[in-house]
Amino acid sequence: MRFISEITKGLVKDNPIFVLVLGMCPTLAVSTSVDNALGMGIAATFVLMCSNIIVSMVKGITPAKIRIPVYIVIIASFVTIVDMVMAAYEPALHKSLGLFIPLIVVNCIILGRAEAFASKNNVLNSLADAIGMGAGFTLSLVIVATFRETLGAGTWLKMSIMPQSYDPMLVAILAPGAFITLGFLMALINMLKEKK
Amino acid sequence: MMYYVKLGAILLIICAIAAGLLAYINGLTEPIIKERKAKEEIQTREALIPGATFIADKTASGLDFFIAQDPQTNEVIGYTFIAAKNGYSGEIQTMVGLDKEFKILNIKVINQSETPGLGANCTLEGFAKLFVGLSDTELLVDKDGGKIPAMAGATITTRAITNSIKEQVIALKNHLANAPQALAKSSEEVN
Repeated sequence: MRFISEITKGLVKDNPIFVLVLGMCPTLAVSTSVDNALGMGIAATFVLMCSNIIVSMVKGITPAKIRIPVYIVIIASFVTIVDMVMAAYEPALHKSLGLFIPLIVVNCIILGRAEAFASKNNVLNSLADAIGMGAGFTLSLVIVATFRETLGAGTWLKMSIMPQSYDPMLVAILAPGAFITLGFLMALINMLKEKK
Repeated sequence: MMYYVKLGAILLIICAIAAGLLAYINGLTEPIIKERKAKEEIQTREALIPGATFIADKTASGLDFFIAQDPQTNEVIGYTFIAAKNGYSGEIQTMVGLDKEFKILNIKVINQSETPGLGANCTLEGFAKLFVGLSDTELLVDKDGGKIPAMAGATITTRAITNSIKEQVIALKNHLANAPQALAKSSEEVN
């Protein structure tokens, strides 16, 4: 089944963060805590699904030379629409996810998948790709955030999990902590890959 | 040559469709968002100084503030205003409630786009508590010699909020010292 394999490839084989190394900027910014990571992951997945579907639909009518600006216009419009509609009708959701909306516009996973996949494949497979990539992105963010939040704040999803005597390692929450965590995780994944 | 004109035209059409769509949706959602913001502002004001009647006023420098009165005796019990300053990524707006001695009763960050997990922690309750009871002379970040401990990894955010409040408290103090009769003249009452 092509549809299924397009979904699963995003989780490990073509994981956007650890393997494709796309979308680093939001990754560094929001992986400070697990709930932020989940919020960003879900919001980005939603926009990715919408943009992949539409890019896949317009692929026949956009000349190759101007495809990138067209994709950017589509993605930016979509993100703005999501932002406005959410602010008007779902204020509670907007309070928790609204912060990530501007970060999604510059998320290169979305443009990357539009260019590398949706512009060459049909709507159904593009949707599958978006779901897989979104899930892989969310999963990676949560993994990075788990390390950073546990070490840097002693909590997980805002629940205290470390013993009282634990003195939080502040560097894990700051930007260098993100690079260090990411480096270790990428090394781990590369090691597992080479063993195969 | 014609080819490039055609490309430009296609791009123009796509942008025009996108812009039209955005304008249409903005027209639909903007009034709803504005109304909700106004409602939130009133709720926040009431949470900062509970049980008061608020009267809108303005300083000479253009700062909007509200005088909180006791609904029975019409005595002034405090002031509220919105302090704003640019933080690490965009403007941070903080609503501040003062008592009649210009000491902070409570604050609430109502609008910010700081880094999640660092500067964005200024919306947590623990942060607002740091400000309670302070007067304008004590309003400085600890690194600048004041009483507000800077949030970990977010000194800029802390400093922006602290300084924005400090400036407005001083402005308000000066305004009321120069125009003590302003209260009697102020007219518009809001709920």
